[in-house]
Amino acid sequence: MISMKLLAVTSCPNGIAHTYMAAEKLSKAAEAMGVDMKVETQGSIGVENELTAEEIAAADGIIIAADKTVDKSRFVGKRLLEVAVSDGIRRPEELIRAFSEGDVPVYGQGQADAGSRLKTIQEIKQARKSRQNPVYRHLMNGVSYMIPFVVVGGLLIALSLGFGGHPTAHGMAVTPGSFWDHVLQVGTASFSFMVPILAGFIAVSIADRPGLVPGMIGGYIAANGSFYGSTAGAGFLGGIVAGFLAGYVAKWIKTWKVPQMIQPIMPILIIPILSSAVVAAIFIWIIGHPIAIVFSDLQSWLQSMQGASKVVLALILGAMISFDMGGPVNKVAFLFGAAMIQSGQYFIMGPIAVAICIPPLGMGLATFIGRRRYTKDERDAGKAAFAMGLVGITEGAIPFAAADPLRVIPSIMIGSMCGSVIAMLSGVTDHVPHGGPVVAVVRAVDNVPMFFVAILVGIVITALIVNLLKKEIPADEETEGVA
Amino acid sequence: MKLTDLVSRELVNLHLQGSTRDEILREMADVLAANGRLLDKDAYLDAVFAREQEGSTGIGFGIAIPHGKSAAVKTPSVAFGKKPEGVDWNSLDGEPAHLVFLLAVPETAEGNEHLKILQMLSRKLIDDEFRQGLLQAANVDEVMALLETVE
Repeated sequence: MISMKLLAVTSCPNGIAHTYMAAEKLSKAAEAMGVDMKVETQGSIGVENELTAEEIAAADGIIIAADKTVDKSRFVGKRLLEVAVSDGIRRPEELIRAFSEGDVPVYGQGQADAGSRLKTIQEIKQARKSRQNPVYRHLMNGVSYMIPFVVVGGLLIALSLGFGGHPTAHGMAVTPGSFWDHVLQVGTASFSFMVPILAGFIAVSIADRPGLVPGMIGGYIAANGSFYGSTAGAGFLGGIVAGFLAGYVAKWIKTWKVPQMIQPIMPILIIPILSSAVVAAIFIWIIGHPIAIVFSDLQSWLQSMQGASKVVLALILGAMISFDMGGPVNKVAFLFGAAMIQSGQYFIMGPIAVAICIPPLGMGLATFIGRRRYTKDERDAGKAAFAMGLVGITEGAIPFAAADPLRVIPSIMIGSMCGSVIAMLSGVTDHVPHGGPVVAVVRAVDNVPMFFVAILVGIVITALIVNLLKKEIPADEETEGVA
Repeated sequence: MKLTDLVSRELVNLHLQGSTRDEILREMADVLAANGRLLDKDAYLDAVFAREQEGSTGIGFGIAIPHGKSAAVKTPSVAFGKKPEGVDWNSLDGEPAHLVFLLAVPETAEGNEHLKILQMLSRKLIDDEFRQGLLQAANVDEVMALLETVE
């Protein structure tokens, strides 16, 4: 007998006797045939021995032996054999053999959609996951765990800057040791987990638990340029790379054939250490160096652009600020603006301050006017993004960009470019290295009306473009989170 | 709780008189009623027959496990009867039934322990040895000893 993993669901009208007899017969027959089998019983006691999503994903096939309707939506894409409960009692061997002989059809998604209204959230997720491509699924897993860190960190930082911040030559500052300083530090702590959590849970989605350590460590290294001699980290885009790298490395090490003696320490010792070492080495010696070079090259390139026309410069700065939101490209533009302030050239930071807040404000607006294009989680993240935008925390838009980079990043870049060009042409300046409406509130901006006009135009353009690109989410999937 | 909490010695009959399925069901329901397990025997039997209509409870291997879930049941109970010659139960395998377990389940009851017991009984009946033991049991003591093992 070839080794197989089968699952079964049994159910009968009263749920008193046959359900359990069929379950027992199927388990016994499977055992005798050397087949791995788990049986979920839906009897009068309720559902027992419930099949998990992981088990369904790993199964070679599913037998439903029932005289009652059993919801099949969670089995989309699996080979499915549906028979009467009596068949489960009478001829379990035959049912099992049907799978090894290969004449069991795969249950299709078309059939599942018919009964979709009755599906539970869990089942919808399952059905949807089985249709998603795996790369997207891993990405979404990471994003869904990252969102709360972005929201908590962003809002705390926003509150502390909004209530306790004052402009200085080095940006918005909060008096050290004050209450708002503590709030700021807690928010900063939450933000520091953002990229490691993103990378960690991308890796977990790929390799299960052994992926967590290499993923989080890889994410941390990606976010901290000091590991590879760069003044800027690789941002959330680097985190995504680290997450996938860690996940696939851990998954690959899991497949190694090792002596029996070593097996118990594989998941807690060998896999995490080896995969972390591999990911760290790749980042430090292979990926990190080019990031550092790109960073310094971008800096000198931007320096050389000083002579170019103001409009071109504004376009470049706007695009750079919103491209990776806190990543190396963003940082080059921001540091350029800050350096210009030091030399008394405030007209560079003005457009940057506008561009900084457009991604989060634009995405917040987009979730507000295009509710049906976003999940509930995303709409909540949108409100938080809006608050972050007001105090110039570009990172508020990261959950959207990480989940759907090809649609979101171009949209926010175009919005930020428009905003920064308007600001540049109308002489908007900024005397502190910080962005968003808050710098106008603290009177660091010249030509305040045009500062707001530029922001408004940018966020409206961002929201319109991104909603044009994004598709509506079917109503039955609306209850679902980002994951 | 174990199976013998649901089936007492009085509910065991090693020599069923009836010669058809319906006669046997009535005979066993009488025993349940006589022992104060039912509030309304006729209403209970209606539920049992209705269940048979949905599909035979003769599951094969000489076993029938008729059951009724009804408000007419006072306490969760199991009656056990043997028909050595066998009786036609319209079984899944066409073979006559020799062992009959008649289950009585209240519509609403405190907790679901009795359902767990019946589940264990159902699972146990798949066991060849257990069935053979019941078929060969010569007296009520031997039957009770076997049923004692279901918990």
